[in-house]
Amino acid sequence: MSHLLLLAGQVVADGLFAVVACIGFALISNASRPVCLVAGLLAGLGHATRFVLLHLGMGIASSSLCAATLVSLCSMLCARRRHTPAEFYAFPALLPMIPGMYAYRTILATMQFLSAAEPAAREALLVEIAYNALTTCCVMGALVIGAIVPLFALHEESPLVRWRRRDAGTDGGKARQD
Amino acid sequence: MTTERQTPPDVRRVSEFLQTFCVVMLAGGAQTLRVERNARRIGMACGMAVELAMFSRHIMLTVSDGASGESCTAVRSLPAGGPNFTRVQALNALGWRMVNERLPLEEAWQEMEHILALPSVPPLRLCLLVACANAAFCRLFDGDAVAMLLVFVATLIGFSVRQALSRMGMNLKIVYLFAAFCASLVASCGVVWQLGTTPQTALGVSVLFLIPGIPLINAVQDILDGHVLMGIARAVQAGMLIAAIALGLSLTMLLAGGAGI
Repeated sequence: MSHLLLLAGQVVADGLFAVVACIGFALISNASRPVCLVAGLLAGLGHATRFVLLHLGMGIASSSLCAATLVSLCSMLCARRRHTPAEFYAFPALLPMIPGMYAYRTILATMQFLSAAEPAAREALLVEIAYNALTTCCVMGALVIGAIVPLFALHEESPLVRWRRRDAGTDGGKARQD
Repeated sequence: MTTERQTPPDVRRVSEFLQTFCVVMLAGGAQTLRVERNARRIGMACGMAVELAMFSRHIMLTVSDGASGESCTAVRSLPAGGPNFTRVQALNALGWRMVNERLPLEEAWQEMEHILALPSVPPLRLCLLVACANAAFCRLFDGDAVAMLLVFVATLIGFSVRQALSRMGMNLKIVYLFAAFCASLVASCGVVWQLGTTPQTALGVSVLFLIPGIPLINAVQDILDGHVLMGIARAVQAGMLIAAIALGLSLTMLLAGGAGI
């Protein structure tokens, strides 16, 4: 029981730090205040989800994919209420999940590789370079694909949405406008 | 629909409006597809057809009036400047108002000038918030309190350097190189004097506030949308900035003992 409580605390802390990180990074791109707030909340949700999935033993790329998809779906719910496209909330919310540490380790290992003398050390560093570089690329790709696929699939002009709307009757001017 | 208007807008006037509209949106970091859709929509609201070609530094725009057979083609270069979400969001909403509320072109011009004059976040506050954000980011990579403090100070200094140099109008890559160098130099104190338990994390995270995340995401989306050229151009631009960051970081590593770190 105490173990579960500790884990819950860690998940909440992870989400809160992601909120702060997201708001600051979104402001670099001069995001407006409502966008910052919503994106921050989404980032907290996404990062906490990824934390839980990683804890359950899922790989970092696949858990990033799931978290990004969740963020994207929630951003579409937020966008429906306001006159703002969903990407404006979803993309800043992905910023705290960008695999910066892996990119840094790639550079570090590359520098060490160039100055390493022994073949054994070089071999180990080469593996580290390949692992970190591949992880960086995969996580980055997973984030973007996870965020974009729901946006494309459930877009206003997509067949999925048109089909559902025809069933539900005319939606008139209430359609999602972005 | 256009017959209801007393004075239908002039082709040249619509073209001038759309040129400014599109270059500001593209420079502000809007997806290429969004700019294209907006331009067509506004053209339609004014009763005109719009064709648009977009490149990384220029756009080409043709506005033609089917009724009078008049048309106007223009090439316009993109202004300098980083991503600006507030502008893109406001311009996007303005485009919809021109369609839905039939906002006249002259009023839309005034509205757009008002949007372009909107102030950005005050530099000092921005600097503090970015430093807090990067410190929180450090915690997400399991940095301890000492590492968070190091990253906070490093980001404060690195971001002020970035702001000061870009105000001087220096080349963006040079700005990024110096900012990354200054930030990582401050954070490398932790590695040199072994402060806390995770000085390595502090050094790695200290430059991450510079990573051009939004341009990278936009680049991938442009490629998936089919605007492959634009996407690759944006990815290459972001990649060069990342290379500049890596160069600044490796300068620090050379100074602080290179491979010894």
